[in-house]
Amino acid sequence: MFNKRYVNPWTIILTILSLVGLGAWVYQLTHGLIATGMRNIVSWGLYITFFMFFVGLSAGGLIVSSSATVFNIKEFKPVAKPAVLLSITCIIVATLLIFVDIGRPDRILNLVFHPQFDSPLTWDVVVITLYLATSLVYLYNMTRAEPNQRNVKVLSAIALPVAILVHSVTAWIFGLQIARPTWHSALMAPLFVASALDSGLALLLIVLIGLNKFTSFKVEKKLISTLGGLLAVFIAVDVYFVFSEILTALYPGEEQLMGYLTLMLSGSLAPFFWGEIILGAVVPFLILVVPKNRMKSSLMVLASALVVVGVLFKRIWLLFSSLLLPLIGLAPGVTLGAYQMPQTFGKAATPGIWDTVGSYAPTWVELAIVVGVCAFGALIFTVGTYFFLTPVQTAEALPKQGGAVSAT
Amino acid sequence: MTKKYGMVIDLKRCIGCHTCEIACKLENDVPMGMYWNRILTEGGKYMDTPKGEYPNVQRGYLPLACQHCENAPCVKVCPVAATYKSEDGRVLINYERCIGCRYCMAACPYNVRVFNWQEPVRIPDFDYGSADTPKRKRGVVEKCSFCEQRVNKGEQPFCVEVCPARARHFGDLNDPTSEVAQLVRARKGEQLLENRGTKPQVYFLR
Repeated sequence: MFNKRYVNPWTIILTILSLVGLGAWVYQLTHGLIATGMRNIVSWGLYITFFMFFVGLSAGGLIVSSSATVFNIKEFKPVAKPAVLLSITCIIVATLLIFVDIGRPDRILNLVFHPQFDSPLTWDVVVITLYLATSLVYLYNMTRAEPNQRNVKVLSAIALPVAILVHSVTAWIFGLQIARPTWHSALMAPLFVASALDSGLALLLIVLIGLNKFTSFKVEKKLISTLGGLLAVFIAVDVYFVFSEILTALYPGEEQLMGYLTLMLSGSLAPFFWGEIILGAVVPFLILVVPKNRMKSSLMVLASALVVVGVLFKRIWLLFSSLLLPLIGLAPGVTLGAYQMPQTFGKAATPGIWDTVGSYAPTWVELAIVVGVCAFGALIFTVGTYFFLTPVQTAEALPKQGGAVSAT
Repeated sequence: MTKKYGMVIDLKRCIGCHTCEIACKLENDVPMGMYWNRILTEGGKYMDTPKGEYPNVQRGYLPLACQHCENAPCVKVCPVAATYKSEDGRVLINYERCIGCRYCMAACPYNVRVFNWQEPVRIPDFDYGSADTPKRKRGVVEKCSFCEQRVNKGEQPFCVEVCPARARHFGDLNDPTSEVAQLVRARKGEQLLENRGTKPQVYFLR
């Protein structure tokens, strides 16, 4: 199993980053979640942001690839394998992010032994498990020496709705909360699916161009160009939903809701909101809408990367817009839940534990863990690429490209 | 008829002394850095700021703890049923089952849930709470339980007992002859954020 071609600078760097992340997680385990920037008002942070983000990346890729088989779009079929592999990787990353977020990971099996089916989080556990299983079987069936076309067709017909469902359920974790004005919206699930489509497809495009460049797995430029056109459409749909959502919230001018909107449109979350709209949507849309640009790999990578970052920005403003402002914002506020015994105890004022408005900045522990988990995902994908997309036989049969494979 | 425990807080009587806040902390062994029961000021940005413009000023307080909602969002979202609605209408937590996902904190409209981000710090350095108060460790969510350890023995929650202004009342809302039910009827008890439809079992008299 273990092959020398698995060891190269790329996999070594990813392994080191994963280990650093693991170390940071051990640090977090020994100190508690106090090691993060989260406190009682902003009780979810970077982990949940990236959780949403990766579920989206995963679902988007699988929706595009399974549509190829379900709707019999022949041109798209070559991307099915890398797309499913990417989906599997991203959903594993998402699951790991939940795992590092919870306060008592030792009790994680309570989710299995004491499930409470009114909770969208329980729905998510069920759907993600189903989704991972479907994707794995789907990948297995596609990568067999002689794929059974009927099986692949049936599996893709299951994978497509499950992929839409997995991201909708993730949206409902937020969208069903009456306590959170900017989350509580029927548009949340469609909005999440739209973001999944554009970010997932954008990541898939980056990966396809990367595979073209560094491995023996090749995808035609024309197909990449077609997918780029599709991406432009998805961006437009995404922005349309965001616009509809914001307009609906803004128009009545209701006082409390305006507080949250001000935060997004001109407050501390504005860089993320406008960053998403301008850098994550308008700019890549203008690049992709010109057919000539779609033939240039560099521009495609740039546009796709902007879309991916834009959707990450959207996750940020979406999550924090609701968490930052408590509905009852009276002084002295909410107790934050962190207490450090001061050196001056008994002599000077004790540390402030109150706040009426939330604040959040990720700590190095959170950043290291998130980077580590992402690196681990990239590692899974890379090994998966060697294993499923460019097996050794191909490398031996084509010595020139085989050389390229071991160099990656 | 089954019981539905509830509380009535008479804001006309509340003097903003914070006795219930501290008593709660002591009785329930609440660690440093958090309170289950907070006395909020209805005026301005700081504690004890009066409402209104001089000379038309008035002090007002809003004691805030778990509202023990009949339609509790936190109970619905808990993936492991660690937070549950007891038969007698209290929202309680099984601290041994909580996985620390903090979904209930995101679901609560009142921000009354607190998380043990760190190993609990106590000053003085021992468990000062009542002996039968449930223990909570690092990594779980906690909140007001209407003093489950006291109410289970037929006593009143500690905040009700200590209130020097006698602003707090506790009892069975389903019993029309109970003090709380009569107060809610007679003085038109209000619920917090009523428009969210959570049906709090804590009423405020203005």
